[in-house]
Amino acid sequence: MGQTIIEKILARASGRATVAPGDYLEVTTSCPTVMAPHSAMDKGAGLITEWNAKIYDPTKVMLVDGHLGATASHGAAEKRKALREWAATVGVPEENMWDLGRSGIENMVAVEQVWALPGECYFQGVNGHISTAGALGSFASALSFGTAAYLLRGVNWVKVPQTIKLVVTGEPRADCTPRDVSEYVLGQLGPSGAVGAILEWTGPYIDALDMEGRFAICSQALFTGAWTAIMNPDDTTMRWVGERIDTSGLEPQTSDQDADFAAVLHFDVDGLTPRIVPPPQRHEIHDLKDYLGIKINRGFIGSDANGWLRDMNHAARVLKGNTIAHHVILNITPGTPRVLKGAVASGAFTTFLESECVVPTPNEGMEWGANTPLTDGDVCIASAQTNYPGRMGGKTSQIFLANPAVVAASCIAGEIVDPYEYFEGK
Amino acid sequence: MRGNAWKFSGILDVDWEICSYLLVRQLADKGPVTEEMLGEHCLVNVDPDFPKKVRKGDFVVAGPNMGYGHDHDHASMALKGAGVAAVLCENSAPYFLRNSIDHGLPVIELPGIMAAVDTGDDLEVDLRAGKVVNHSRPGHELTFTPLPDFLLDVLDAGGIYPMLKPRYEGSAGR
Ligand code: SF4
Repeated sequence: MGQTIIEKILARASGRATVAPGDYLEVTTSCPTVMAPHSAMDKGAGLITEWNAKIYDPTKVMLVDGHLGATASHGAAEKRKALREWAATVGVPEENMWDLGRSGIENMVAVEQVWALPGECYFQGVNGHISTAGALGSFASALSFGTAAYLLRGVNWVKVPQTIKLVVTGEPRADCTPRDVSEYVLGQLGPSGAVGAILEWTGPYIDALDMEGRFAICSQALFTGAWTAIMNPDDTTMRWVGERIDTSGLEPQTSDQDADFAAVLHFDVDGLTPRIVPPPQRHEIHDLKDYLGIKINRGFIGSDANGWLRDMNHAARVLKGNTIAHHVILNITPGTPRVLKGAVASGAFTTFLESECVVPTPNEGMEWGANTPLTDGDVCIASAQTNYPGRMGGKTSQIFLANPAVVAASCIAGEIVDPYEYFEGK
Repeated sequence: MRGNAWKFSGILDVDWEICSYLLVRQLADKGPVTEEMLGEHCLVNVDPDFPKKVRKGDFVVAGPNMGYGHDHDHASMALKGAGVAAVLCENSAPYFLRNSIDHGLPVIELPGIMAAVDTGDDLEVDLRAGKVVNHSRPGHELTFTPLPDFLLDVLDAGGIYPMLKPRYEGSAGR
């Protein structure tokens, strides 16, 4: 019987020949661990100093300020200062501090720096969306409340998950992004369709996709109840990796043909139209056409689902030559400095300014209300990850989730519209 | 462990049904957030009186995908703070399971539990033996594979940090 990529990675990481779903293992990795100031102190980092305890390897800790960005709220200044003091005390080197100016969404920085290595486990502090890094062929998981325990021991515990293989074929409509494909598949699986499993994304659609699109797809695994997502490294993967780090010594893994998958599911996304997720339930995914005409006054483009360079260019295609409605604020936040630089080079950044959008410094953006928050009564169309009440601020605000073209076109119209006219025949 | 069952059906998202994430953030802006503070708001979006009705040592019984959503651990704190002794569910979101065990709150995945238990039933749970007895339905007993010893030790210690403290305190010699 063959093994899945995840089983091979976890076997290596635990020093065993083979592992099977349901096994409890203690695992290690050579990858660094990312922590973020918005949550590091209350997730146990403070315990390390309080206990006067030693970190297993302080050079393996990366402190990335993705959530706070340039916000004045959420105690940002104090949290940033506290983390710097903590780093100095426990011996994390200065160059491991990814502060404003070189920081961005933690998951995105992690894959841009290839901190997540193909064939290894990659652990990050708090953040279920670290499944993003699975597109590099890593077993990517958050440590969450167990972060400090990992920092102390350099060892993490896992229960070997089952693998569900997804095979995606077809070509979606031009106004879709990979996010729409992911939403479509998640909608078919349902919120309990893959509880605790790994989603292994495969098929001609995935094979043809660039790395940014693959990261975006992997970022959403948890909405099916899955633990994380993974893709088998191929030439596209190794090109991304090789452009950034020395690849000698890497041992990428791939699933065997005869591996034991819990299920193999096929999805045809040919001609797929944009998806929309109305509030308040994250797992109820609809066709955009069922929600046209809803008045909005706020927009957001960004997040690890749609804060990539390909998304900036996607939005710019709609915004070029148009301005957004005067009663609307559209916040477009590039996920990382690399994305922002790319948007400057492609001209997307100038388009955003000409369209009268607000472009904050790279970070999570409005995703959790840390900049340009919503207030009661606001209705927002957003390319964010979540839509539960209050996520972006305001108890009675409403968040509809959709791709950047839908957001941009809706902000121009002042109501939710279909962006296809901007793509038709072009 | 012995207590009464509180049964919830439907998806329980850590950030909404179990305990509003907005509320956690508002509390966190004012100072440290404790289990007791969150316990007062546990599951109120499903049953507004739950924190008043539940007694220390009771069990929450839930369907599939218990603790759906983000890896936010405040939901585990809220349940503990409300006095819940263990969560028995058809199956659990992996981060909820991890966070709960690390917080010292047992989460037991037990297919068939929803059909075997009603709210108010008198349950007895033995973690090491892997057994749930429903005393309100004589003869009703469910078994499960117990957690490995290294995780039972975490639960016995009341969480991963109480367990690690004696081992690591002072190790830096700063
Ligand atoms: S972009 Fe949003 S969903 Fe992704 S990690 Fe940041 S806050 Fe979480």
